[in-house]
This record gives sequence, C-alpha cells and structure tokens, in this order.
Amino acid sequence: MTDLKRINDIYEMYTSFTDAEPNGKFTFSAKDNLTSIDFESCAGSKILSGYRPPFDATPIKKMREAGGFLQGKTNMDEFGFGTFSANSGFGIPKNPYDLNRSCGGSSGGAACAAAVLEDHVALGVSTGGSIVCPASFCGVYGIAPSYGRVSRYGLIDYANSLDKVGVLSAKAADLGKYLRIIAGKDEHDPTSCVQPDMPEKDRAMKSVAVPKEAIEGISDKVMTHFEASLESLRSMGIDVEYVDMPVLKYAMPAYYVIAASEASTNLARFCGMRYGQQDGDLSLGFDAYFTSFRSKYFGDEAKRRILLGTFTRMVGYADRYYNKALRVRESIIQEYKKVFTNCDAVVTPTMPFISPRFDEIANMSALDVYKADFLTIPPNLTGMPHMSVPCGYSDGMPVGLMFTSDHWNEDVLLSAAVEWEKGFEMKRPEVKA
Amino acid sequence: MKIGLEIHVQLPTKTKMFCSCPTEGEDRPNSRVCPTCLGLPGSKPSLNRKAVELGLTIAKVLGCTIPEQTWFSRKTYFYPDLCKHFQTTQYDMPIGERGVYKLGNKDIRITRVHLEEDPGKTKRVGDNTALVDYNRSGIPLVEIVTEPDISSPAEARQFLAELLVTIRNAIDLPADGDRSVRCDCNISVGKERCEVKNVTGLKNVENCLKYEAVRQTKTLKAGGKIERETRRFDEERKVTLPARKKEYEADYGYIGEPDLGIYNIGEIAASIKIRESPIEMATRFTTQYGLDSGKAKQIVTTSLELAALFEELVKATDVKTAITWTTGAITANWKTFDVSKKDELISIVKELFNGSIKDTECSIRVKALMTGKSADELSSAAGDLEEVINGLIDANLHVVDDYRKNPKAANMIIGMAMKQTGGAYSSSDIVEAVTRMIETRL
Ligand SMILES: [Zn+2]
Repeated sequence: MTDLKRINDIYEMYTSFTDAEPNGKFTFSAKDNLTSIDFESCAGSKILSGYRPPFDATPIKKMREAGGFLQGKTNMDEFGFGTFSANSGFGIPKNPYDLNRSCGGSSGGAACAAAVLEDHVALGVSTGGSIVCPASFCGVYGIAPSYGRVSRYGLIDYANSLDKVGVLSAKAADLGKYLRIIAGKDEHDPTSCVQPDMPEKDRAMKSVAVPKEAIEGISDKVMTHFEASLESLRSMGIDVEYVDMPVLKYAMPAYYVIAASEASTNLARFCGMRYGQQDGDLSLGFDAYFTSFRSKYFGDEAKRRILLGTFTRMVGYADRYYNKALRVRESIIQEYKKVFTNCDAVVTPTMPFISPRFDEIANMSALDVYKADFLTIPPNLTGMPHMSVPCGYSDGMPVGLMFTSDHWNEDVLLSAAVEWEKGFEMKRPEVKA
Repeated sequence: MKIGLEIHVQLPTKTKMFCSCPTEGEDRPNSRVCPTCLGLPGSKPSLNRKAVELGLTIAKVLGCTIPEQTWFSRKTYFYPDLCKHFQTTQYDMPIGERGVYKLGNKDIRITRVHLEEDPGKTKRVGDNTALVDYNRSGIPLVEIVTEPDISSPAEARQFLAELLVTIRNAIDLPADGDRSVRCDCNISVGKERCEVKNVTGLKNVENCLKYEAVRQTKTLKAGGKIERETRRFDEERKVTLPARKKEYEADYGYIGEPDLGIYNIGEIAASIKIRESPIEMATRFTTQYGLDSGKAKQIVTTSLELAALFEELVKATDVKTAITWTTGAITANWKTFDVSKKDELISIVKELFNGSIKDTECSIRVKALMTGKSADELSSAAGDLEEVINGLIDANLHVVDDYRKNPKAANMIIGMAMKQTGGAYSSSDIVEAVTRMIETRL
C-alpha cells in the first residue's frame, strides 16, 4: 500500500485519487463538486456514483494549464449541504488533530488534505461558509473570493447566486498565488465576466471592525483566542474598532431561503436517467421512476433542502420568503458597505466553537447545525471575499479568525494572511500513516 | 366565443440560445449537443445575443412596451425531454408586454412576448419505451401570448397566417417556419375555458378549435359543465382529449435564473429598426393607391419584390397604369421573371405611358422579357387571341358596364374566350388579355 492510500484510509479526505507519482510543478486537489475528466465527480452524492464528466471545470483547467497535477477529488457534504462533511455519501473525512472530530464542511476533505499533505493546495467551494469553516477546524488558511471572481463553469451547483470557488492551504502565500491562477473572466460563466482585474500588488490592511452582534454566543474557548488575536492585530499596526451591524441577524433566514430555493431547482435534474446511478426499475413510468430513484439515492439533508426550497418557491409563498430574502440580502450588503467606508475588513471568529466530536454532531438537530454557520453566512450571502486564518489552539484543536473585505478587495485579505503568518506559530498535525 | 393563443415560433439563429451548438445540420439524434444543452452537472448557460435581438424585433413589431431590463427564470417540471428539469424561460419580466396586432380592422391584443428555450423531443417506440433526442434542446423560441380577442377558429387561423407573414418579414424567418409553429389554444364558449396544449401548424389549430367549440357547446346544451382543464389534440382523429396530468402555473415554482443575471435591453431595443410588414404594406396600398384590398394582398404575398416593383411603376408612370400592369401581365408571368431585369420592364411600361407604343405591343414585350419567349411568336398568338376577345366584347358590350360595378363581370368573356380558343392559350394569358382589353374600353 502506498503512503497516500494509507493516509487516505485514515482521514478519508479523498473520494477518488491517484497514487501515481505527481509530475507537475505543484500538486493540488479539487472538491468533488468540481468536474474533471480523469476522476469521477459525484459532489458527495450517491446519485452521481460513477459519473465521469466529459469536461474539466474552468478552475481545474486553469490549475492544470499552470502546471498543476490533480491528485484527487476531496470529500464533501452531499452537494455542499452541511457544516461537518458528515452528509457525504462516501464516508466522512476525519479531523487531522483528532480523528473523533469533524473536519468541518462542506469542503471538509479539502481542508483535511491541505492540513495533512505536504506542499498541497486544495480547491474548495463555499456557498454559506464551506471554505472558512473547515479551514478553521483543520487549522489551515482558506479564502472564498468575491462572488464572480472565479468561474463556476464545471461547478456542480448548490446555489448559483452564492457559490464561490476558493483556495485552502497550510501556507498563507499560496492563497494569493493560486487564487490569481484560477480567477478571471470566463465566457462559459457570464457571472464571472463583470469582475475588475485583481491588482498586481496586494494592498496592506490598516483597520478592521468587529461587529458587536457577531461576538455574542461564542464559546469561551474560541473567545479567548479571538481576543488575543485582536491584540496581535493591534501589534501589527492594524486599528481595531467595534461597530453595530444589527441587520446581520437576518442573514441566516435569508440565506437558507435563497440557498434552498436555488438548490431545489438545481437538484431537479438528478433522476437516474442520463448520468450517474441508473439502476432503477425501468418498468415504472418516468414519474414513478424519478421518484423512486431520488428517494433511494438522495441523503436526508438533500431531501430536506428540496422540500424547503420547493415550498419557498411556491406561488403564494415566494413573496413571503424568496423575494423577501433577496431584499434582505440587499440591505445586508448596504450595511457592510457602510462599515467599509471606515475600515478595510470586518473581523470575527470563523466558527463559534472548536470542531465538535462526531458523537456531539449526532445529537445536534438540523437547526443547531444551521445555527453553527451564523458567522460565516453574512459574507457569503453578500458575495464578499472572506478568509479564515489559524489563530490558536484550544485543547489541541485549531481556532480560526475570519476576515471579510469589500467586493473585489481580496488583495487586502491576501496581504493580511501573509503578515499574520509571520507572527503566528502554526502547529502542523502529526500525520498518522 | 373567446379564443386566446400562446404561439411558439423558433427563432432563426445559427447557434442555440445558451450554448454554441448549431441549430441546424446533422439530423442524427443527439449529434448537436454539448454539456450545456444536455444539462450536465456543472454546465452553465451563456446567452445568445442574436436571440434577444430577434425577440425584441418581434416585440417591437407587435407594438409591445419594452422594459429597460429583463431577466430569465427557471420553470421547474419533471419530464424526460427537459434535461435540467427546469426550462429557462421568462416569467416576471418578459421582453415585451401590452402590444396589439391589427387583423383587418380588428385589434388582437398581445399580452406578452417572451424568450425561452425549447426542450428536446420524445419519440415513443412501442408501449413501454421512448427515446429522447436533445438536438432541439436549447433552440431559441419566442412565445407570443394574446388576450382572448379572437372570436372563431377561422379567425384564429387567419390571425396566425398573417402574424407569421409579419414575423417572417420582420426577422427573415425561413418559409418552413410555419411547420414549426406550435400553439397552446385557450377557448371558451361559456364561462370556463380549456387549454389545448402543443398544437402544431395552422390547419391543426383551426381543427382543434373547431372541435373544442362544438364539444363545449354540446356539453353546455346537455346541461353539463365545462371543467377548466388542459387537453391535447389528436391530429389523426381530429379530437381533443383530456391531458394526462393537470398543470398549473403555481406548480412551476418560478425563480430568477441566477446564472444569467440581469440584461439592459433598452438601448438594443431602441437601435432595432423594424420594416413595414406585408400586411401593413397591403393596407397602405389600399389607402394610398385605391388598390382593391384583395389585389393588394395578392401583390404583397406573391413577393415583396413585386410590391416594390409596383411602387416603382407608380413613380415611373401613374397609379392606374401601375395597377393594370402589375396585377395583370406582370403578376401572370412573375414566376419566370428574372428580377434583375426590372429596370427594363419598367422602361417598357413607361413607353406605353408616354404613348410611344400601344397596349398590345407593350403586353407582348413584357411577356417576352418576363418569360424569355420570342416576341414574334407571342405577337402572332396574341394577335389571334386579341381578335377573338375583341369580337366577344363587341358582341356583349354590357360587360363593359357591368365591369365598372363588379370586376367579376370579366369572367363571362374569359369563359367564352377559353372555350373558343380550346386550350391554345394559358388561362393566365386569357385573364390578363380580357381584363386589359375591357379596361381600355372603360
Ligand atoms: Zn449545446
């Protein structure tokens, strides 16, 4: 057995991979919802088992063109629906610091790979926090850029108006290096074509704001490290001030309405007819066939979101939920813009607690899980770039610090990551193999 | 009786609406497809600008109000030929609203005009098997929705025929566009309406509406109730049947299409110039030149080049001369005419107008030019024919008076001339000569 196989048997970060000797300028992995020609692409769903896409997602294509070697596809919550990567149809990735704990999600496999593998860069995808959450739990750097910065062509959609492809790595400098490779306009994704170019030189971060609303309900373990981090920022010459952002509390309901509405339409195409699993009972009429197939292969969380989303799209409810949620998104964007007139970034803890154990996760209700994302949802809902950096260890588990900047200002975050790394002592996990 | 139509017309673009697959070419099933029009996971749409321009042209021709911004929506339903299980269409912001179409003197109000993609095609083979061809998937369609302003099946057919002429003229729709016209027909004879979905072609629309009108009337007469329902048309048996499944707009759960975003179309719409439609042209010919409306329609439907030639003749000569020769000899020989010789044709008629040649000579030279036959041959034949006709008119002089009241009076002389010459001349030659010779005696 090769080392990589042994490592993967323990951590389950890959759903498919090659243990061939890497032959590129660098080695990278891609979250399994990014299509690639040489690997199955299942987006964590059994319904897509066996699916071999005929095309590479644009971010993967660009990484290959830059000399990258795609080693494998990383595990994830089914279609991105989850916070702990426990909703995958293909096993659950294990936290590199404690195998009984979660990697976070939904890009859990990506964060795990970035933490466990040497000189590795992982492409992740964020819809509501799916890059920064696992980056925080696995103690690595992770950035989700502005919505529209990286082409989504080849990304198996969760919620099209929220999905963003980003980068995770144990090295701060990798974020900027590889984000610049995958960013840019792509005629195959019209929403990528309105972006301004990234500046060649990253601007320095000079001031940050802490929203008072965001630090309520944070566990003591995380809070201790957050307060220490603010001290570190001050010592780096960055101004820290506290602000009120009362509308942030509406972000969560608005997010779930929009995400579930869009997801329920995206998932409609999976029916066992054209790709993926196709072993249904062909004697059934098409309606019954589709139903039986979707009942059998979608996981519980996927079904829950289809039901939620179908409900919020119904005539009579669309105005109460979906259309209202779109207006809430607008008002939250305005709230952020107001804050950004006085400072370069908003800073909060990434997650309200350190990575939970799997037995704790099993006892959480769906609502408890949704609530865990209350810090990561606002920047995602507004399409603003955000980044998690490791900021300490509590009981040996990593804690993350999250920065959010204005649309298209990724460079301010990238420079801050590099500066932060200079003063932060990272403890890489001890890799069992 | 109230009839409203939802008319789907394929837009003549080279590539599909959201990908670059060709709209025409190989017919082998599933040969003109890509990840986007197959709806493969991860594929994304990108909008074909030409489709928007063509749709806007139609919206403008129909006098619609065009918004500054437009967007697309997802209409979700499960059917094997709809590869994403949502159709990318327009819902809350169509490219045009509140237009009107002039059908003769009647206004048919246009509710809305919107763009959408066509699904693939399902082909049943045997009882339990169907095959799907996605070559059609993603072909751009424009949907035109009317208010229930149409009052009979015949009027529906006439409206569709004229509307298609208008559209063909506006966007250079190929002539076989008629076949690909699909309609959802809404009809009510009492209070409640029924919708017959997906009826193909003009003849079927008329037949389906006729059947529905009779069915609903009979049902009501027998004391029954018309249920609001969706039906389908069986082309073979010419009957409508209840559709297998009821569908309501509410079930589609429309949301905006987030992969496409919002388009500013105000400027594009303003820059689109629309041509006069053949129907409008015919109406103008009637009011401007006093041309009989049947003849005006005949000219514009024969060919827009013939219509243009007519207006040139009016300028070169006068209205009366232009009408006589356009509706007579020129129309009669149009099929064999090489339009590039039109200046020559005009100069012949001009010679007549100036008095340098006579009717007969003009007629022979026009025919010779248009058919490529020798003038000598035509001349002797025509001489004989004209002699016969002159004799007939002399013997029935009342025809000249009758013709003033009703041009159909010429039919009597035409019939007698045909009999007497026993098939030696084509009927169009005889019609042309008789009409011309009666008109010179008016
Ligand atoms: Zn295509």
